[in-house]
Amino acid sequence: MSDRATSTAAAGYLGEPSGVGAWFTSLDHKRIGMMFLGWTMGALLLGMIFTTITVAKSVGARGLDPGFMYRVLTYQRVFLVFLFLVPALPSVLGYFLLPLQLGARNMMLPVLARCSLRFYVVGLVLILVSVAVGPVATGWTLDSDLFLRDTGAVSLLGAGLFFLAVGWFLTGLNFLVTVHHGRAPGMGFFDMPILAWSLYLSGYLLAASGIIFAIIILYLMASRAFGGGMFGADADPLLWKNYFWFVMRPAAFFALIPGVGVISEIVTGLARKPLAGYKTLVGAMIALTGLAFVSWGVNLAGQGLDPGLTLVFSAYSLLVAVPAALIAYIWLATLYKGALALGATVVFVWGFFFQAGIAVLMGLFLASPALGAYLGTTMFASTQLDYLIWGGVMSALFAGLHFWWPKMTGRHLNDEVARIGAVLYVVGVNLALVPGIILGTRGVPQDMGAFVNGPAGVNETSALGWLVLYSGIGVIASNLISTLWEGEGAPANPWGATTLEWGTDSPPEAENFVETPHAGEIYRY
Amino acid sequence: MSGILIGNAISSTWFPEAASTHARNVDGLYFGIYVAAVFALFLFAGLALVYITVFRRRDESQKGEAGRRLNPVFLGLWLLGAVGLAGFAFVGGIPDFVDQTVAPYGAYRIHINARQGNWDFIYPNGHVADTLMVAVDRPVHLTMNSEDVEHSLSIPALRLNQAILPGRNTDAWFEADRAGDFAVQSNLYSGAGYDSLFTAMIALEAQDYEKWLADVSDIFIGRTLPEVGELLYNRLGCKACHTIDGTALIGPSFKDVYGFEFETVDGGRVTVDDAYVKESILTPNVSVIAGFQPVMTPFAGLVNDREIEAITAWLKTLSSRGGVPETEAEVPGEEAGQEEN
Repeated sequence: MSDRATSTAAAGYLGEPSGVGAWFTSLDHKRIGMMFLGWTMGALLLGMIFTTITVAKSVGARGLDPGFMYRVLTYQRVFLVFLFLVPALPSVLGYFLLPLQLGARNMMLPVLARCSLRFYVVGLVLILVSVAVGPVATGWTLDSDLFLRDTGAVSLLGAGLFFLAVGWFLTGLNFLVTVHHGRAPGMGFFDMPILAWSLYLSGYLLAASGIIFAIIILYLMASRAFGGGMFGADADPLLWKNYFWFVMRPAAFFALIPGVGVISEIVTGLARKPLAGYKTLVGAMIALTGLAFVSWGVNLAGQGLDPGLTLVFSAYSLLVAVPAALIAYIWLATLYKGALALGATVVFVWGFFFQAGIAVLMGLFLASPALGAYLGTTMFASTQLDYLIWGGVMSALFAGLHFWWPKMTGRHLNDEVARIGAVLYVVGVNLALVPGIILGTRGVPQDMGAFVNGPAGVNETSALGWLVLYSGIGVIASNLISTLWEGEGAPANPWGATTLEWGTDSPPEAENFVETPHAGEIYRY
Repeated sequence: MSGILIGNAISSTWFPEAASTHARNVDGLYFGIYVAAVFALFLFAGLALVYITVFRRRDESQKGEAGRRLNPVFLGLWLLGAVGLAGFAFVGGIPDFVDQTVAPYGAYRIHINARQGNWDFIYPNGHVADTLMVAVDRPVHLTMNSEDVEHSLSIPALRLNQAILPGRNTDAWFEADRAGDFAVQSNLYSGAGYDSLFTAMIALEAQDYEKWLADVSDIFIGRTLPEVGELLYNRLGCKACHTIDGTALIGPSFKDVYGFEFETVDGGRVTVDDAYVKESILTPNVSVIAGFQPVMTPFAGLVNDREIEAITAWLKTLSSRGGVPETEAEVPGEEAGQEEN
């Protein structure tokens, strides 16, 4: 296999057919994954630009009036949540790795995969047009009462989100079908790599959330266009909020569960040690998937939900602590007496431990009945979401990219540069976000950190953190991009890992495998 | 108790200074979970860091130990810790949560009308202000509704936050235990005028509060008598049954009644003058105008003579006869149909 790699000039799927048209019409899951990477990074950049404006405001920039700032806050969240947080792991790493891990030649529904990418792009463009035509100030949760009254281009924003939501549905459906029908001969469900399991479970969440979100967005737009209707002026605003969080609560989980898969693969691969408690880990992820569907009401704490129901949702939400603790234990048990290869990837993995840990633990405060009512609509809740975006999902994405980059591009990253970027990232993200927790306990309303001066130095510390975080992201991005042209060629299996994607060339050829692989015992080092 | 002590010690950075028992309980719960959560985080992230350092790859061919099993004792302890932490967050939060859902009987009631851009705080005697004034050590029961979009009432010093929804009533209650100025805000972004909802609550000692309310509530200051009458018409709820445009509802309209003569239900005739107005307010069901039911609430004890005088003065301004009695009988119900304006 290694001589094949040299004879095809290490181009693999990246080579022929070339040209923008060939890429855009490609049905190859690897190309779709790489294009998703490009688009999500673009969306992240836009989110970072909007974030920069809020940070500037928080340290006293003048001339940014509230009306303008509410629009900035709305789009900051729209770009970071709908266009980055949600697709970062399932669409980028998921599309690229799922067929490779299963030993399949492509997604089982390749046209739908391409379709989900196109819907993503259409959604992104519509949302960008809404920024240009009439920026919306409803907040990213699109509360129905504000949506009906907003004077901006809400229909464009709504239409953009509709396309994105249909894209989630198509992605989820594709994952489910591919796992059911695309596994290599001899690979049972419990022979699947853990990342494939996490993507499979996310598939249920993506499909269900995506289709429901698409439908309620249509109802919301219809209520605005024709008056009355499901979310019309007479409707209780809580109706929309219940639907919205019924969709977006699972979104937090389908963004993060693949992160658990990514980190588990990396921990076992770099430690060259079998994943401890594989079936227990699968069970924990199944538990998380189930809890994702029943705990949405915790996001409505302090927003008018019935007190009895609040307690029920509180209990469901706190149950998340049990599978989360199981997963943490399994990672520690796998590291124990392993042979971990150190490098930038490990820094991101530890960053994920720390930051996803904070996000989950913050969930305990928000789900505690008396505390949740007070903190649920403050910066504390916003900061938890920020920890999910910048801390959890982003560190899993970077860890995954650093781990699989040799497979994706056939080239090694510069590890010296990567380490600098990783350390800057971990230091920066925590420095930037911890002050938000203090603003939250002090009662600053959600997303409004930029408007309030907290205790001395809080906003300035946070601004410094953002600067460090941005420079870290800059270093990481430049390292990733520069390797596309230059960089040491990577062998098929640089880490000595055992899942099927490491058995083919780096980068893989268009058909993934020369011969259909046979699955053996997984994680045998 | 210990939670309260810790709360007082650290809350200067974490929380605005507490102004109620509930707030101190919430702080105690927060720091209880906080200590456990920080311990859990550093145990996990710290152990990971130790393992990463100790069990790193020392030469290229090295492999990890082949074991796949989880140690049941350590796993059991670990999970017990997780269940304990989640259980503490749940059970520890229930008493204060439940306590917040029901206001104490007889609490001092203030009604809040919220709309985009401003609050109306309506006091028991009908006084309306845009600042929340309360007395220290007296439970306050807030009943709230919104005229447009969803808002929330948040008072960080009391660790209080409650949604205010259009189309239904929500309540909250608190008992401030120290005097001072505290921030009042809405935590839910509500579109135009959101920043104007950032206002203040002022807690006064009980006697100062009564004095303030009496001073600010003297509606005769700065108003003419008819203006006071109109204010009372709005405040006392007269407008639910009596219009001022000639349309008869449950009671006769106030347009063109003063100075007119009417037939009563028992067949007599009565001219609306100062004495009849007073009688109709204090004991309204004694002589009822023909065509109406004797269903009005007596206001004896609820309005004083000076206020009745003001209402009478206002009724005169609504009448085309300006107080000159005439003999012609008119029935307001019929008159309504002939109204031009």
